[in-house]
Amino acid sequence: MQQYVTLKIDDARVQAIKGASVLDAAMASGICIPHLCYVPVLKDSGACRLCIVEVVNDGRTKITASCTLNAEDGMVIRSNTERIRKLRKNIAELLVAQAPNSRAVQDIAVRCGVKEVRYPFRNDNCIQCGRCVRYCTEYSKANALGFVGRGKNRHVEFALGFRRDFCKKCGFCTEYCPMSVTPCGGAMKAGEGRLCANCESQIAMADKFSGVCVRCELGRGFGCVRQTYV
Amino acid sequence: MTTLNSILTGRRSQPHMLIEVLQDVQELYGYLPKEAMSAVAQELGIPLMEVYRVACFYKAFSLKPRGKHVFTVCTGTACHVRGARLLIDQVKGQLNIEPGETTEDGLVTIVNVNCVGACALGPVVIQNGAYCHHMTPGKLRKAIDKTRGKKKKEERAHA
Repeated sequence: MQQYVTLKIDDARVQAIKGASVLDAAMASGICIPHLCYVPVLKDSGACRLCIVEVVNDGRTKITASCTLNAEDGMVIRSNTERIRKLRKNIAELLVAQAPNSRAVQDIAVRCGVKEVRYPFRNDNCIQCGRCVRYCTEYSKANALGFVGRGKNRHVEFALGFRRDFCKKCGFCTEYCPMSVTPCGGAMKAGEGRLCANCESQIAMADKFSGVCVRCELGRGFGCVRQTYV
Repeated sequence: MTTLNSILTGRRSQPHMLIEVLQDVQELYGYLPKEAMSAVAQELGIPLMEVYRVACFYKAFSLKPRGKHVFTVCTGTACHVRGARLLIDQVKGQLNIEPGETTEDGLVTIVNVNCVGACALGPVVIQNGAYCHHMTPGKLRKAIDKTRGKKKKEERAHA
């Protein structure tokens, strides 16, 4: 028999299956916490830090990633406070600066209220969310992809530098990559520290109703729970 | 004699032995050949990716063949403060190679690492596993000359 726990997310009483993460619980009840590295079928790694929430404990709040936080009975979570919005915006800005040519990252940035990016663009085209690596090791069990190197040299690579026979060629590494979502028309270019005009309507919407779902491309492609609910 | 087979004996199908095995392989060949890594992955029962990842992560493992003499220059905080930069400059000027490279004759390899845990003795240089404490550019130059062992004699013959 499935056991349930009751917790409070943004003053709403939410029931979640025991062992589920706070992010799972929030998404299932229609509270959108922005997330990027989270894939429902895979283990959570907490790589992108976009899904940060405040956990209230004895009047004190602690900020932590909600995808790796287990839902417990009587938990009080705040996902949309001033402090969280500020931190989340900063994280989103850093992600856009790292990889500005992805629609998925752009959408998430808009959702987090980013209008202008204060950091120099790196154009790396990889934000090391680990979606491809986790899919390869956990789901398709091919172990062809992995993180190599450390520190700023950490990157995704095939074993010994080229595609091996044990790669199943399932193609899901590219399918799951946020970079594979085509950038919108006037994509953000290096040096132009702002979002393009196509994103402007979304910015206006996000401005008017803060925390609203912007129907992000990432959600559409990967079956965001929110998208299927609406 | 050590061979890849004797290294793996008694360690097969034990994934937790990975680093020890890689260390022994490194000692045997001086670096980690691709074939050896494939063999290790197969024998220990771990994905090749995992072996490759570990081999890339640690500075102690080299994927490229190393020279006969390996000089490891510590550039950690304490050694840096005590002048490890000068040692690196000395090496660059003397051998014309960057840290991580090997001289063309395959004799000397220079590696820089971030800390070797002997900060009180800094600046530290490890010559083929032996720790040389309180290094100076002069001492390092002599040590490198000794391994090549030719220049000095020529100079003396001329004098």
